[in-house]
Amino acid sequence: MARFVIRRLLQSAVVLLGVTLVVFLLLQLVPGDPVRVALGTRFDPQTYEALRARAGLDQPLVVQYFDYLRRALTGDLGVSFRSGRPVTAIVLERLPATLSLAVTAVLFAVVIAFPLGIVSAIRSGSLVDHAARVFSQFGVSVPDFWMGIMAILLFSGVLGWLPPSGYVALTEDPGRWASHVALPAATVGLVTASILTRFVRSSMLEVLSEDYVRTAEAKGLRTRVVVLRHVLRNALIPVVTVVAVQLASLLGGVIVIEVLFAWPGIGRLTYDAVAARDYPVLQGAVLLVAALFLLVNLVVDILYARLDPRITVK
Amino acid sequence: MSRTRFRLAGATIALMLAAVAGCSGGEGVDVDGNDGAGAGGVLNAAIGGEPDQLDPHKTSAYYSFQVLENVFDTLVEPDENLEMKPALATEWTTSDDQLTWTFTLREGVTFSDGSPLTAEDVVYSYNRIIDEKLNNAYKFGTVKSIEAADPKTVVVTLNAPTPNLLANLGGFKGVAIVQKSNVESGEITTKPVGSGPFVVENYSSGDSIRLVRNDNYWGEKPKLDGVRFTFVSDPTVALQNLRGGEVHWTDNLPPQQVPGLLDGDDPTVRSVPSTDYWYLSLNQARKPYDDVNVRRAIAFALDREAITKAAKFGLATVNQTAIPRNSAFYYEYAPYSHDVNQARQLLDQAGVSGLTMDLMVTSEYPETVTAAQVIAAQLEAVGITVKIRTLDFAQWLDEQGAGSFDSFMLGWLGNIDPDEFYYAQHHSDGSFNFHKYANSTVDRLLDQARTETDQAARKQRYEQVAKQIVDDASYIYLYNPDVAQGWSKQVTGYEVRTDRAIRFREVALAR
Repeated sequence: MARFVIRRLLQSAVVLLGVTLVVFLLLQLVPGDPVRVALGTRFDPQTYEALRARAGLDQPLVVQYFDYLRRALTGDLGVSFRSGRPVTAIVLERLPATLSLAVTAVLFAVVIAFPLGIVSAIRSGSLVDHAARVFSQFGVSVPDFWMGIMAILLFSGVLGWLPPSGYVALTEDPGRWASHVALPAATVGLVTASILTRFVRSSMLEVLSEDYVRTAEAKGLRTRVVVLRHVLRNALIPVVTVVAVQLASLLGGVIVIEVLFAWPGIGRLTYDAVAARDYPVLQGAVLLVAALFLLVNLVVDILYARLDPRITVK
Repeated sequence: MSRTRFRLAGATIALMLAAVAGCSGGEGVDVDGNDGAGAGGVLNAAIGGEPDQLDPHKTSAYYSFQVLENVFDTLVEPDENLEMKPALATEWTTSDDQLTWTFTLREGVTFSDGSPLTAEDVVYSYNRIIDEKLNNAYKFGTVKSIEAADPKTVVVTLNAPTPNLLANLGGFKGVAIVQKSNVESGEITTKPVGSGPFVVENYSSGDSIRLVRNDNYWGEKPKLDGVRFTFVSDPTVALQNLRGGEVHWTDNLPPQQVPGLLDGDDPTVRSVPSTDYWYLSLNQARKPYDDVNVRRAIAFALDREAITKAAKFGLATVNQTAIPRNSAFYYEYAPYSHDVNQARQLLDQAGVSGLTMDLMVTSEYPETVTAAQVIAAQLEAVGITVKIRTLDFAQWLDEQGAGSFDSFMLGWLGNIDPDEFYYAQHHSDGSFNFHKYANSTVDRLLDQARTETDQAARKQRYEQVAKQIVDDASYIYLYNPDVAQGWSKQVTGYEVRTDRAIRFREVALAR
């Protein structure tokens, strides 16, 4: 097990190295000059050259990359082009907001998707099943920003239950955090729930047709017991992967939703960094997201073994 | 496994319910505690985006200056008519040759940390901008030296007479007086120390900036305990925040809703003509836009009223000379009526037919995207096919710098003195002359007006410049937009300013 983890960590390091190189090269291909954006419309050529030199953008690309890599190895991801602050700090301080949004959204999705998926599999073809499929189609096809705006107008505007946007740290005031996270998390969660419901349903259906389920039923076990003990446990295995992948992608920041709800997470940071062509911040954010993705995948692989003894971690 | 999941799920539902309950418990107006009767409360202001940093000399973002306007001071500052009035300097004299300006600083001014603000700080601040070639170095183009004669006297020596020196030194907070130790510690980017009415207490990246009253402020003490700026980029959400009471003030209103909001009284929405202008620019390095007849044809083909209605929902004043009506330099000149026949005739004269014109606009300023569609339809009527290219601003600037465009639409914001905008955009050496306009008469007039100290003569020169620029259709000016801001009924003492400076020092919050 330990060897497995170590090997996976080493692989992850190689992947991260690849990520830095790809991101760095891609940024060079993106049109747009960060110096001009930073200076706005009024400047003279000397100011332009001075700022370019201060940011190190006048160096050859190879030098810029290896400089970046050398510093990144010591945990220094450079300095934000626009704010002049260390990227490591900027990226890390956005992590709690994104984490709390992603986790809440996934929990929200699971709460909806599991019961809905299970019932709709057991009562396949019933009214509930049809309703679940309509719901899931709706959630996947309606754009999340539109759903977000509608949610704001309804829950904040008409009903006045929830604040339309903003953020309070969980550590600062859990109650106010919850009231602020509810709308964005529900908006994101609804989409995730739609995807999950389908997976839970089809995974359940597959297991329901297995021989051992028929045997269990033949033994005279109650449906409830069959479903909970035999079907669900086995049906969950592929679902866990989907939940994890969803969580990992939400950790990358839900850009549109974070921007809409003024949520200070990685997504909004990325959005601002792209607009400003703030390369160091963008690289830092992508690197962090990639690292989170790898971490979640590692955890899932370990979890697999726990869920299904037939799978062994080699 | 599944059981754990379900338990977690239960906890989430409980949390959500608690959240809903917590809200109905009266969270409407968040004033961050502090309920003392005499206290002024904390004003929540929603701005459209996050400042890139809080160093006034290094940022160029309007979002930064919305905050910094309340934190820093300049030697002089524009009043509501944009005339320069005493701020840190109480009076100033000019030598007979106009090359030496002597400023007397206000008595007893300190930075917010209590340390005195002296002539040395002024010298340090200006030299920092000049020596490090920071964004506003161009405003000091004619400055030879800055010296502190004594702790209360600053002497600015010039290479050439500079009649708009006051506007350069006080037009906005980009030339603010900063504290050396604050700069050298690097804290200025997030915890700047100024001498203004408020102090930055906390900057939480991505979320908010909290200001508290500066008890050492030299002017009348602000009534508010503080101001909390949040960054809400979606205007619908910002308006919802204002209506719901989470926010007391915002300038990020959905433009299509502003005309309707102007009639209501809660929120109060006010709109005043701004000093900004928006224009269409044709690339004179490319054929056939080097031909003045083609440019004039396009100027005649445009219906500015229709463009304004579409792009600004009528909240703008059409203008053909850039200089807004409320400016001392305003010059009434509007030779281009919407005249399709005239436009066709001019195109015939130029021997141009079946022209396809590339028009570059940016999603950063949505009004350019909307206006472009109207412009395209209007030019279609005179036989010009417009291909609209919508780019993000970084790429837009790139293409502009490379000269890869037939035409673009953009605005120029916060204009006070014509030297600044006319010179940069229409002098053949201007830093913003990307459309390659060159007219030696205009160059000469701009050079003269720059150093002309007689105000009447100077104004006359700029009128000649304006006329020539319009006749040559160097830029095809379209309109001066209004600036619209909204605030809740609780807010008193706030005025919308034409230069879009956001000042909260005289604002009070009723509770």
